[in-house]
Amino acid sequence: MPHRFFQAQSTHVTQSPPDTQPGPDPTTQDPLLRASGICKRYGGVVALDHVDVTFFPGEVHALMGENGAGKSTLGKLIAGAVPATAGDIEVEGQLVRIANPTDAQRLGITIIFQELDLFPNLSVAENIAIRNLRFGESGLVRYKRMDEFALKALGRIGLDISPRTLVGDLPVAHQQMVAIARALSMDARLIVFDESTSALTDDAVDRLFEVIGQLRDEGVACVFVTHKMDEVFRLADRVTVLRDGRYVGTKRAAETDMAELVRMMIGHDVDTSKHSPSHATEQPMLRIAGLQTPALKDVSFDVHRGEVVGLAGLVGAGRGEIGRALFGLDPITGGSVELAGRQIGFGSPRQAMRAGVALLPRDRKTEGLMMQMSVRENTSLAVLPRISPAGWIGRGEEASRCDAVGQTTRLKAASPHIAVSSLSGGNQQKTLLGRWLLTDADLFFLDDPTRGVDIGAKEDIYKIIEELAQRGKAIIMVSSELPELIRCCDRIIVMNEGRSVADLKRSETNQEEILTYATAGPVVSA
Amino acid sequence: MNKLLQVLAQRRDLTLTLIVLVALFITAVIISPGQRFPKEESLGFMTVTLPKGWPIFLTLENLTDILRTNAIIGVMALGMTLVILTAGIDLSVGSILLLASVVTGLVIRDTNAPWIAAVALGIFAGTVVGALNGALIAKLKVQPFIITLATMIGIRGLAKMFSNNKTVLLPNEEGTQGYAFIEIVASKWVTIGSFVVLAAVFALLLWGTVFGRYVRALGDNAKAADYAGLPTQRMLVAVYTLTGMLAGVAGVLSCALDENADSTQGVAAELDVIAVVVIGGTSLAGGRGSILGSVLGLLIIMILKNILGLNNIGSNEQQVIMAGVIILAVAAQMIQGSSLPAWLRIGPLKN
Repeated sequence: MPHRFFQAQSTHVTQSPPDTQPGPDPTTQDPLLRASGICKRYGGVVALDHVDVTFFPGEVHALMGENGAGKSTLGKLIAGAVPATAGDIEVEGQLVRIANPTDAQRLGITIIFQELDLFPNLSVAENIAIRNLRFGESGLVRYKRMDEFALKALGRIGLDISPRTLVGDLPVAHQQMVAIARALSMDARLIVFDESTSALTDDAVDRLFEVIGQLRDEGVACVFVTHKMDEVFRLADRVTVLRDGRYVGTKRAAETDMAELVRMMIGHDVDTSKHSPSHATEQPMLRIAGLQTPALKDVSFDVHRGEVVGLAGLVGAGRGEIGRALFGLDPITGGSVELAGRQIGFGSPRQAMRAGVALLPRDRKTEGLMMQMSVRENTSLAVLPRISPAGWIGRGEEASRCDAVGQTTRLKAASPHIAVSSLSGGNQQKTLLGRWLLTDADLFFLDDPTRGVDIGAKEDIYKIIEELAQRGKAIIMVSSELPELIRCCDRIIVMNEGRSVADLKRSETNQEEILTYATAGPVVSA
Repeated sequence: MNKLLQVLAQRRDLTLTLIVLVALFITAVIISPGQRFPKEESLGFMTVTLPKGWPIFLTLENLTDILRTNAIIGVMALGMTLVILTAGIDLSVGSILLLASVVTGLVIRDTNAPWIAAVALGIFAGTVVGALNGALIAKLKVQPFIITLATMIGIRGLAKMFSNNKTVLLPNEEGTQGYAFIEIVASKWVTIGSFVVLAAVFALLLWGTVFGRYVRALGDNAKAADYAGLPTQRMLVAVYTLTGMLAGVAGVLSCALDENADSTQGVAAELDVIAVVVIGGTSLAGGRGSILGSVLGLLIIMILKNILGLNNIGSNEQQVIMAGVIILAVAAQMIQGSSLPAWLRIGPLKN
């Protein structure tokens, strides 16, 4: 376990020199796109709150922020993938309307999605030319001309592959290049890269950055949505930071440093004075050493009875995957996991449940709740066999247990018989928490338990977690909100690209340190 | 009484189906042709004389006749309701019906075994095919549509191999096992009775047991069912096995009613069965539906077919009308309440 107690590095060390020398200051030209007062609401949730941002031709502009800060939403909104709730967008001084991707493409704006929107069963050429497959007057597809068209686009980014290859047969990095070639063939003047490096190997990232540098030199505005610090300093001319859907500021990359950006991402107005009291004991409950799964490279940490351990890290760092491994959803390919002194490796959630593990999944709608079923039916689901002699549901027992746990979680529902889909996000989450509280597990893995939950429900959930700890349960909690982790957890494990890179005591750490570990480039083992 | 209202309030999704059924029934009585002669009918404890001109539809003889014929579809619809609740489909029920019918017919014709053994073997054959369906679907994780499409084709072929492609005629001289089988199994008491009993059993299974709750949970959200530790694979096997068993029962009933086993039995029956379940408000997306709904769906189709037949509307025209009814029924279920008065609202109960 080489880097479990990795010493904090200076925030300046990880800054790599820029790949390409920035050209003349692009901001001296006329702006290509100016967005002002941009708002985006999803139901009651505000994703963007009056954001102003300007993009110039020939610049690489990074959009940064923590998970959920709204950076991806802003990128998609500019490219028409999501419509704005309010705000104005000007392209070259003209007020425009971007309601869908077609509008955006007509203006020369396109987006390279994280989940690429390519057609895997069509050829490279067909994918690149998909907007206009008719080459010629006959109405038939002219494959030769289409290939020429595709080769021209591929040539611009220096990708040497046959245009007849099926896109699904290409490695992800090449697929990404095909998506870029398609964007270029549409004469894009502004390309949004939405976390484009997350699925790429280091070599492929280098290649992508080269292409982006080249596009910048050709005068294309490249908007780069990311949360990785090293990429920002390698690539970007300017950086705009968002926090909680609000615009924080724009800096020239050459004139800022990692520490400043981290401060901008976190903000200074966070109240971390509230702490849940600690109930941690010395009795070990879970011991993970060198854990490997298809998604995890090297994870090691312990959890004791009565302890709340937080998992921090960026999206994709492997926080939730630890829960999947513990709960028998992902195979364990290396390392060891001990639960209460016994080596474990479950083949299914059923086995994990029997051994006393509970997993509150990250996405309650797709992984947790049966939306058409009632609140009570959802709550009792995991303990149903225990309260049903000979398979016949004991309705009295079901009602009393569910009502009791509903009181513990302060669940508010008009009736236990209404469909869970009609509840607010907070009460849906409490229903799901109630399901797992009823199982009386020893180890709770809570994957972002306050995601999409209102403030009041958040406080209730914190209280539930504290009560669990008080009763001697071991709790692992994933959260994208650092203040929340600092508030609830005794210790915080920081994950970075499938590895646990730091094990920090709450009393001895702060948000800056955690975020530094989480956003630093991949740590080389000592 | 309060409790009943409460239940009805929770089952608003069936209210519209019930209203359609009642309206259809009344319409049927009104448009039914009248009897040409007065007719005596025994109600068990008394005999009434129905006057000339009394609607044919509204006679005990007619109603029990159509119930008996439709019991076959009804029995299969019970299993199909479970399958569709899990977001699956079973296209093989018509072929299983034929296989069970042939097995039963052959045992009665060619052996001296008591007819009850033939019945048991017929049902057993259906159960085995159902278990095969379930095992393939659960283990191979192939869509149920494809697996049951394959067994639909294969099992019909197998049944025809068994019967040598000829109709298996049951011996019907008095004193033979065939005679006893037809007399007892094809009687209205047994056909209608077995449907009613099975419907009650499956309604209780779905409503009151852990298994029933799990079936709905699995269809509502299969991923979440896995995450909640439900034995999803075993459940799929069980659901398709039960459906095979019920198709076996339907095959035995068909054999008795037709007094033979013939390769035309159960052709396209799966489509009638699916139509009944869908009209009964069970969602093909899974998770929503009930046995009671399917029973109502069966009654709707049954009355509709009967009244069209009584009015001499040809079977081609019947099919066209039936298509309209299915589309209307599903369209009605799409209306998630917005434009309907509260007490008529379809779909799961909201606040």
